[in-house]
Amino acid sequence: MGGLVNYVIRRLLFAIPVFLAVSVITYLITNAAGDPVQIVKFGIRNISPAQLEYLRLYFHEDLPVYIRYFYWLNDFLHGNLGQSLYTGSVVALIVPWIGTTLELQIPALALALAIGVPVGIYSAKHQYTKGDYAITTTAIFGISMPTFWIGIMGIIVFSYYLHWLPAFGAYSSYPPYWWGSPFMDALAHIILPLAVLTLVSIATITRLVRANMLEVLRQDYVLAARASGVSEFKVTFKHALKNAITPVVTIVGLSFGVLLGGAPALETTFSWPGLGKAFVFAATRLDLPTVLGITMIITIMVLIANIVTDLAYAVLDPRVRIT
Amino acid sequence: MTEAKPATKQRGASQAAVAWRRFRKNKSALAGATVVGFFIFVAVYGVFFAPLPSRSFWCLYNSCADLPPFQNWAHPLGTEPSGIDVFSEILHGALGDLYVGVVATAISVLIGLLVGALAGYRSGVSGALLLGITQIFFVIPVLILILLFARIGQLLVAHGLGLTLIVVILGIFGWPTIAFVTRGEILRIKELEFVQAARSLGASNTRILFRHILLNVLSPIIVLASLLVAGNILTEVVISFLGFGDPSTSTWGLLLQEGFSYVRTSWWVSVFPGIAVVVAVLGFNLLGDGLSDALNPRIRE
Amino acid sequence: MGELLRVDDLRTYFYTEAGVVKAVDGVSFVANEGEPLGLVGESGSGKTVTVLAAMGIVSRPGKIVSGKIFFKGEELDHKSEKEMRKIRGKKIGYVSQDPNSSLDPLFTVGNQLVEVIRTHFEDTKDQAWDKGVKLLKLVGIPEADTRMRSYPHELSGGMKQRVAIARALAGEPELLVADEPTTNLDVTIQAQVLDLLKTLGKQLNMSLILITHDMGLIAEMTKRVVVLYAGKVAEEASTLEVFQTPKHPYTAALLASVPRLDRKEVLVPIGGGIPNLITPPSGCRFHPRCAYAKQICIDQIPPLEESGQRRLVACHRWKEIDLRRKA
Repeated sequence: MGGLVNYVIRRLLFAIPVFLAVSVITYLITNAAGDPVQIVKFGIRNISPAQLEYLRLYFHEDLPVYIRYFYWLNDFLHGNLGQSLYTGSVVALIVPWIGTTLELQIPALALALAIGVPVGIYSAKHQYTKGDYAITTTAIFGISMPTFWIGIMGIIVFSYYLHWLPAFGAYSSYPPYWWGSPFMDALAHIILPLAVLTLVSIATITRLVRANMLEVLRQDYVLAARASGVSEFKVTFKHALKNAITPVVTIVGLSFGVLLGGAPALETTFSWPGLGKAFVFAATRLDLPTVLGITMIITIMVLIANIVTDLAYAVLDPRVRIT
Repeated sequence: MTEAKPATKQRGASQAAVAWRRFRKNKSALAGATVVGFFIFVAVYGVFFAPLPSRSFWCLYNSCADLPPFQNWAHPLGTEPSGIDVFSEILHGALGDLYVGVVATAISVLIGLLVGALAGYRSGVSGALLLGITQIFFVIPVLILILLFARIGQLLVAHGLGLTLIVVILGIFGWPTIAFVTRGEILRIKELEFVQAARSLGASNTRILFRHILLNVLSPIIVLASLLVAGNILTEVVISFLGFGDPSTSTWGLLLQEGFSYVRTSWWVSVFPGIAVVVAVLGFNLLGDGLSDALNPRIRE
Repeated sequence: MGELLRVDDLRTYFYTEAGVVKAVDGVSFVANEGEPLGLVGESGSGKTVTVLAAMGIVSRPGKIVSGKIFFKGEELDHKSEKEMRKIRGKKIGYVSQDPNSSLDPLFTVGNQLVEVIRTHFEDTKDQAWDKGVKLLKLVGIPEADTRMRSYPHELSGGMKQRVAIARALAGEPELLVADEPTTNLDVTIQAQVLDLLKTLGKQLNMSLILITHDMGLIAEMTKRVVVLYAGKVAEEASTLEVFQTPKHPYTAALLASVPRLDRKEVLVPIGGGIPNLITPPSGCRFHPRCAYAKQICIDQIPPLEESGQRRLVACHRWKEIDLRRKA
């Protein structure tokens, strides 16, 4: 167990430079015009003197950039993300957005794993059959489509043409509710974005599982297990699956950042009130305190996902604890 | 199962010839190559087939705005309510997307090869540092940063640079996978006998690096590059769709952004550019998969 | 001396994209009780595939095209998958070449032993665990109790091979197939593993099929040899006869490439490589590499003929040529 604790501590220590790196990159780009206030002044014509004064204070405009950065970092680490240019405290804004984003991302990931893993196994076990060709072809289509575009197609078909599902938002703010009650209404709203996000993730996961499974099924230990009379079911679902799924867990966990990276376009398409849509909205209106806050919060979420992934990997694979 | 393998190393037939034979037999790879070829053709010569020039609002003043598709053969895929012809715009956009996809990939490949080669060849602190920087890129929300760069870049320099801004941003963020794979290949190849032999014969470090190693690193890089072109096109589409691109150059993402504002009434503006994106991206993905099968015999056996 | 495994005109082809690989193309042999048998040939000659086919675990794109397989007179090739599982591990044990990859890295030694034991016997988990400990002791692993809880990566190569042997023994098989059991081990460990296999054979009254490309191992471990070349039997004879009077030029070539301590002579590697099995050479498959080849060897496939008491050879010219090594 000592090895495991050591391993986790090492991974945690890796997260700190990553966090700092992202914060530096993010902060520097908002200083591309000299300092953040310049960008806001440049992009927003009718900004009020009061707003400008606030930004000057919050970003410590009078200090050199490398000192300003540390003031900003210090503020951030103390939970002071500043005031949005338009609607109050950034922290108060962000917290509900986190929930809405995860409400979509986590079920999609869970569903995609629940469907993608068995499909990938089937595909690998039946390599070069019609079923395998059908699956691999569908999957490569899946990874070749912009997620938001599938969303738009869904909206056109299921909302505007068939009128089965709502086209945007996470809920109706007032009656009439879809399908009778506020709860069913929320369900009706989540179906389309969830389905789109799940479909795209299934494609990725299926391809990963299939490739890993093919690799693992060729391994000597699978042959040796078969040769010792172990049943094909156990060979597949005990030995091959665990060996194939371990790297998949890692990749999926690590690609949480990629998934969240898709949030802006997807949430904008569905007007889903989460971090992604808020990011696009804030970036468009140059609400820099909000933009910086969301970027850093997403980074932290991704890092947490990475650490959880590393933990899962260490539990699944005894070899990582010593290396 | 090692016994089952037919002796693959046939003397005489070069590695490239073997790969070519495998490639030709791979249907999806051929389909991918065909689609990519078609895409490049459209990007280069499509201008001559386009009914209207790039970003032309001609229809708005000639009463052919907001036409549905397949009705007027001068505008086969319909027009936007703003007057833009969808078919023309898809043809013009192909060039923009090809430019973004290919040139950004070329930048990434150059940076990736350089960083990966250094990280693999230098085993000391500098190698470890480069590896660390590469790994950081794997775990950060890259697309969010790309969007942020695009937005602020758009604000400050877009009018001078146009699509090149997006090309540079994608190029700067796309290299880590290439660097990682290059490093791995170099670590592996460095230990192989022929490199050791060349070294003991006194070949200088730089010569070993370029002559022997880079040639071997090429095959996985070609695969990754093909997939990266696909990824870059998708990212361009997202950037432009969200309005962070260049509003004066035709791209499919820009068309999709306009389409989304008319999605309720004019569905065709959203549907056809999306299909174009899927076809082009699919082509590069199929090509990458096929190349990976052809260049990496281990997977097929 | 009863007959254990009989393979009759076995053909196993691999249907790859490049074409049909005839990995095993008409192989026959018998493995008898108490008569350790060697299957010898270069890699790619079909040794492993033959045995895997006999155990019914050739995986796609490989397929048994024709041939019969008997275990103690019982025909195996018509048996269902469920019945075959009672043969695999229970009647025929298999030790694969590379101990570093033949154990599942994600499960403990104990888990993998218990799995096989409980496949073949109606034991409780505790009983199976105790049996596993005994097996590890049998194959000479110290501190067997602790080792049961080890993961493969925590063991040395030699240890892993011992565990792999223990797993092959878990079903108490009557026949043990050892597929290049020492190729991936250090020289000092090789001797220990060979000794272990010999002792176990006697102790457990278990017969052995040894798959190898190493004539030295054949001399040390076996009494009878089947020489395979490109998916066909080149020669079959007792080990002694093969070493004294090889009748097939390929056998002679194999022998000439083995270093010997008792004589000073030049080692002769076999020229050329294993032929392409998608389009094998016409006639005798060895003819492109054979120093004695004549027109007939290119035109006609040599039949497997009796060349003495329990001796077979597939060569057009075995009567004419003298392959004995110069003393």
